[in-house]
Amino acid sequence: MKEEQPDDARVPLFRTWPRIYAAVAVSALLVMALLALFARWPY
Amino acid sequence: MTALDWAVLGVYLVAIVGFGLWMGRGNQRIDDFFLADRKMRWWAAGLSVMATQISAITFVGTTGQAYTHGMSFLVFYFGLPFAMIVLCMTLVPFFYRARVYTAYQYLEQRFDPRTRTLTSLLFLLSRGMSVGVTLYAPSVVLSVILGWSETSTILLMGGSTIAYVVYGGNKSVMWTDVVQMAIIWLGIFVCVGVAVAQLPEGFGLRDSLAVASLTDHLEIMDTSWDLRKPYTLWSGLIGGLFLAMGYFGCDQSQVQRYLSGRSLTESRLSLLFNAFLKVPMQFLILLTGVLVFVFYHFHAPPLVWNAAEMRKLEAGAPAGELARTRAQFEAAHRARQIAAQRYARERRQEGAETARQSYLTAQRDLAAAQADAARMLQVINQGKPVSDTNYIFPSYVVSKLPGGLAGLVIAVIFAAAMSTLSGEFNSLATASMVDFYQRFVKTSADDAHYLRVSRVFTAFWGVFACGIALQAGRLGSAIEVVNRFGSYFYGSILGVFALAVLTPRATARGAFYGLWAGMTTVFLVSRLTSVAFLWYNVVGAATVFVAGLLVSALQHAGPPSRPSDPRTTAPASA
Repeated sequence: MKEEQPDDARVPLFRTWPRIYAAVAVSALLVMALLALFARWPY
Repeated sequence: MTALDWAVLGVYLVAIVGFGLWMGRGNQRIDDFFLADRKMRWWAAGLSVMATQISAITFVGTTGQAYTHGMSFLVFYFGLPFAMIVLCMTLVPFFYRARVYTAYQYLEQRFDPRTRTLTSLLFLLSRGMSVGVTLYAPSVVLSVILGWSETSTILLMGGSTIAYVVYGGNKSVMWTDVVQMAIIWLGIFVCVGVAVAQLPEGFGLRDSLAVASLTDHLEIMDTSWDLRKPYTLWSGLIGGLFLAMGYFGCDQSQVQRYLSGRSLTESRLSLLFNAFLKVPMQFLILLTGVLVFVFYHFHAPPLVWNAAEMRKLEAGAPAGELARTRAQFEAAHRARQIAAQRYARERRQEGAETARQSYLTAQRDLAAAQADAARMLQVINQGKPVSDTNYIFPSYVVSKLPGGLAGLVIAVIFAAAMSTLSGEFNSLATASMVDFYQRFVKTSADDAHYLRVSRVFTAFWGVFACGIALQAGRLGSAIEVVNRFGSYFYGSILGVFALAVLTPRATARGAFYGLWAGMTTVFLVSRLTSVAFLWYNVVGAATVFVAGLLVSALQHAGPPSRPSDPRTTAPASA
């Protein structure tokens, strides 16, 4: 019988899941802001 | 294509099949065959999730769409990062702790066999039919571009994928996905690099983007609230969020990828990896299309991109009319080239507005000539409308990329098709095996038996996809119906899963009848209104959730349908 990995294995980088989710959400918003800038940039 | 290009394509095909077979050796249990023994690392599972999503037609279709209409399609992916977060917080832990093979298996644990069977059947119907289209669409394009018969491209693409998926199951699928995704990324960077390198001397990337912005090719953020427009910021954020939650949370072809993670943490990280990379990747693919658009300001584009249709036009159109259209097209192209160069030089000077107007006039004339050609072709094709978009990028690749790189990019298109097909064959076999054969036909047998049957199911779905693809040319508009079929119930199935994990009050009856209510509502909305398709997912999910809760509330007057299980039900406070 295989041993099941614990669900709460070490959370990388940000230590907690809520912090990771917040980082992903912020980075997604940042990417969108950069895309808006790209679209409207006066080349 | 040069001999070197053919060699690159040949090496890719032989190497990927060989690698798939090698990685898939040693399967002894269905855990190995369907979930790669639950040992995948987050980056491998994440690349596999990404590879399963990006089909060949996404690759050639979106570049073509960027060429013709610009980058507005990018908003389609804006909801995806947020969907990944929601899934990591909700469905993924429930799936993982329930130790299921299919997403629908979880619904039996939470509700009843009826809800599981219906959702799994809907998956088999929609995915089973659309897998044929997934194979057919790039095969048609490649057959025209490479000069092969459709049958050859279908059998080569389908046959080579079937070979390693039947033998190696999910291990082969996921490890070949990793390699294929690496090739796709390499191809994307090569395409962007070559498109920039091929710009004429004295005309840089900034000039290209300035010219592209004249025709709104860089427009991404349409903030209008018009529900009929397909790609607005809001349809992308809200509709795209629900679509991505439905696809990544409830479609077995995706669920199976991240359930193969070695821990819940790895499964979650595989999805968050996609949340980071998907929008930038799609941006680069669309940017390639825009740069190809600018490239053809300085090189003569064909009047019609599909070479087979062009031959028909030359044979069937009135000679005088075609010659006039061609002359108008060539004159407009020359005028546009001059105007583009002038605008690039003078865009910060006084003459900018005149240059801009000259450019737009030339662009309109060019589009009018192409529309005339399309009209002539429609008459020749007895009213059947002509869609040229999917041929733009492959035509550019085989005619303009230097030796070896064309072969690499065609290999990328093969990789994109095969990575999607392999995941779909494997997931269709899993749902057939686990939700039907193991559930209703043979509930108790040894692993060797289930493994044999799983391989038979995989081969069946592979052959079925090839059969549909070979007949697709004759099915005509039925193919479009099949393609839209999935969008009718993605949101609705998402609603059932939302009922399952978000509220302990939802009952099996509520979920079952809620699902029917959702699908019916979406069908009516699609038939009776002109609401854009991304919103169907919101309508479906919301209807199922509300209707499911109402039916459940009515039922709560009586005794509860089954005791709650803490592994499968949200806590009452959730």
